[in-house]
Amino acid sequence: MVIDIATAELDQILANQAGLVAIGAGLAVGLAGLGSGLAEKDIGSAAVGAFTEKEELFGKGLIMTVIPETIVIFGFVIAIMMLL
Amino acid sequence: MLKPKQMSKVLLTGHKDVLEPTIETLHDLYTLHIEEYVGDDYFHIGTPLSGADEGSKKLLKLRSIASFLGIKKPYHKPISARQLSSELEGKLETLGDVISGKLGRKSQIEADLKDVQTEIHEIEAFSGIPVNLDLCRGYNTLHVFAGTVMKGADVRAGLTGITDEYQFITGNTGVFILTVPVKYREQVAELLAEYGFGEVKIPAISGTPDDLINELTSRQDSLAKDLESLSSEIDSVKAEYEDFILASEELLSIETQKKETPLVIATSEHTFVIDGWIPDDEFETMRSRVEEATDNRVYATIVEEPVDEANVPIEYDNPKIVKPMEAVMNLYARPKYHEIDPTTFVFIAFPLFYGMILGDIGYGLILLGISLYGRSKLHGDGWNSLFTVLIYCNIVTLIFGILYAEFLGFPLAGLHGHPGLIPGWETITLFAGLGGEHITYPIHRTHLVTTLLVLTLLIGVIHINIGLIAGFRNVLVKHGMKAAVLEKIAWIILQVGIFLLLFGVMGVVPSMLPGAAIFVLAVIMLVAGEGGTAIIEIPSVLSNILSYSRLLAVGLSSIGIATAVNIMSGMMFESGGLFIVVAVIIFILGHGLNTALSIIAPGLHALRLQYVEFFTKFYEGGGRIYNPFGYKRIYTEE
Repeated sequence: MVIDIATAELDQILANQAGLVAIGAGLAVGLAGLGSGLAEKDIGSAAVGAFTEKEELFGKGLIMTVIPETIVIFGFVIAIMMLL
Repeated sequence: MLKPKQMSKVLLTGHKDVLEPTIETLHDLYTLHIEEYVGDDYFHIGTPLSGADEGSKKLLKLRSIASFLGIKKPYHKPISARQLSSELEGKLETLGDVISGKLGRKSQIEADLKDVQTEIHEIEAFSGIPVNLDLCRGYNTLHVFAGTVMKGADVRAGLTGITDEYQFITGNTGVFILTVPVKYREQVAELLAEYGFGEVKIPAISGTPDDLINELTSRQDSLAKDLESLSSEIDSVKAEYEDFILASEELLSIETQKKETPLVIATSEHTFVIDGWIPDDEFETMRSRVEEATDNRVYATIVEEPVDEANVPIEYDNPKIVKPMEAVMNLYARPKYHEIDPTTFVFIAFPLFYGMILGDIGYGLILLGISLYGRSKLHGDGWNSLFTVLIYCNIVTLIFGILYAEFLGFPLAGLHGHPGLIPGWETITLFAGLGGEHITYPIHRTHLVTTLLVLTLLIGVIHINIGLIAGFRNVLVKHGMKAAVLEKIAWIILQVGIFLLLFGVMGVVPSMLPGAAIFVLAVIMLVAGEGGTAIIEIPSVLSNILSYSRLLAVGLSSIGIATAVNIMSGMMFESGGLFIVVAVIIFILGHGLNTALSIIAPGLHALRLQYVEFFTKFYEGGGRIYNPFGYKRIYTEE
């Protein structure tokens, strides 16, 4: 009887740990995504403004806009490493 | 291949008598980039050749006809320019006559139609009133009110308090005509004002409203019919003359371009001087052709004086297979004259990165099909380059797809007892990877994250250092050895220092001292080369290299979406019955979405690695576009 409870508690603890890791991974992607979004919104609107005036700037504007994308990539990589 | 075409500055000079054949020859050659002459003391800007006026008038006429007929630019079989130019005059004349008659008639009919519609609109308000509208005006002793009042207002009841000498007629639309003796006019007007009277003007026309409406409607119909038949006549003219218009527009544009060339070259009283740029290997051909056409009366020479790099027009010099990548370069900037032209690097790295990220046989086949179809259907340089680049990318995707054995997110080979799509194909373990992982064939990306992550970073190190070496060459040519070493080699040394330090921390090498020493040396070199700001940029080396982890990460997210779609539709499918339809819908929509994302995400990320991580190491760009004098014929041929 005592042994049963101990096993049950161990299972519980392991499940809790797995849950916490999942939450951590979620936070890593989610918060990094927010960071990317915040940075990209300003660059993106400026880029759209620039290339409506001068169409040749489309390429450069696009590149500038995706620069902060790296932040979320880092978050994603961290999340995957946590889950594995 | 790695450099833009070598250009020479050339001067052509001769007597004005031979200007026309010279222009003719240069136009045919389509190789000389003419520098526009801006004028100084001795020479002045030339005047157009004779016939330029006439040509531009014809061109104007033709373009207005084309816009009237609504001719767009389809892809066409070219027709002979010589034959066209002989019949151009006559045909244009006939076309002009035909069109101007139709144009006049069309605008007349349209005006009439508009008038009729306005009249109908005015009279319609009175429909149902059985009174000739002529009888509603021109009285001395009577006053006629016509209009509407608020809903529910009883005009007759109100009138009983004033007079019973009136006539009140309402029609279908609620508009009424009220006739009263002039002496009650003020009182009735006050009464009507209380009821919210809105006056409607009685049209100055004779006849009862209903008859008039019938008459006008039938007239409207006949006008509409006329317009329709005229439109079909115009369409038949359009169909008959479309080829002619497109071809002669091109022919006349070429003529006008030639005739107006003197406007950009220098002339004196009797001579002309053409100043321009030509690719080195084209100069001899140009000289001999021009001399031949003018009996040696034009002197062509290469100007040997040193030229400013910024003025040289840039033409790519790439093998045919690499050419489509120039579109990717143009999106960023054309190389400068003395710079390395990185098109070939991009040609290798861009499809490679794209394929590494996507690496799925299913998506690769779908996108390959789309791009092959698109390339056969859509013409024009832009589309052609775009689809060709996509084809390159998706061929590499297929290769990586076979390496990863993925099909629309499903693994093709079985692993750890989970069967793959192809029964009997089991994953073979080859050797140990990093972090306790095993490298297998096929490679399961989701099970090999640590190893692949290190591999992508290694690719990053290689790619960035190729960029730095290219940068070394660029700075060497421009500023000499010392600057090149301090600005570019120092970054490579810095990386060596960082890696030695890392190995020191991990215990791979016994001491951190050599790493630290090399790191400090590199920092000193950088500060000497680029100034104090270089210190701020040091972390960028790391973030640039880490950025290549997207080669794995973006691919994993694509697998994630595909797997989610597969699981969802699989669960629906197992429920059976009507759910099978839902499963199919989810499958198609989900993978459709992921296919669209498969162009955008790997494309943008592979592109960004070129532009941001790679180009910043060596590439400036901003060269002038080489725009040779001539015309690219589409609708005509010589």
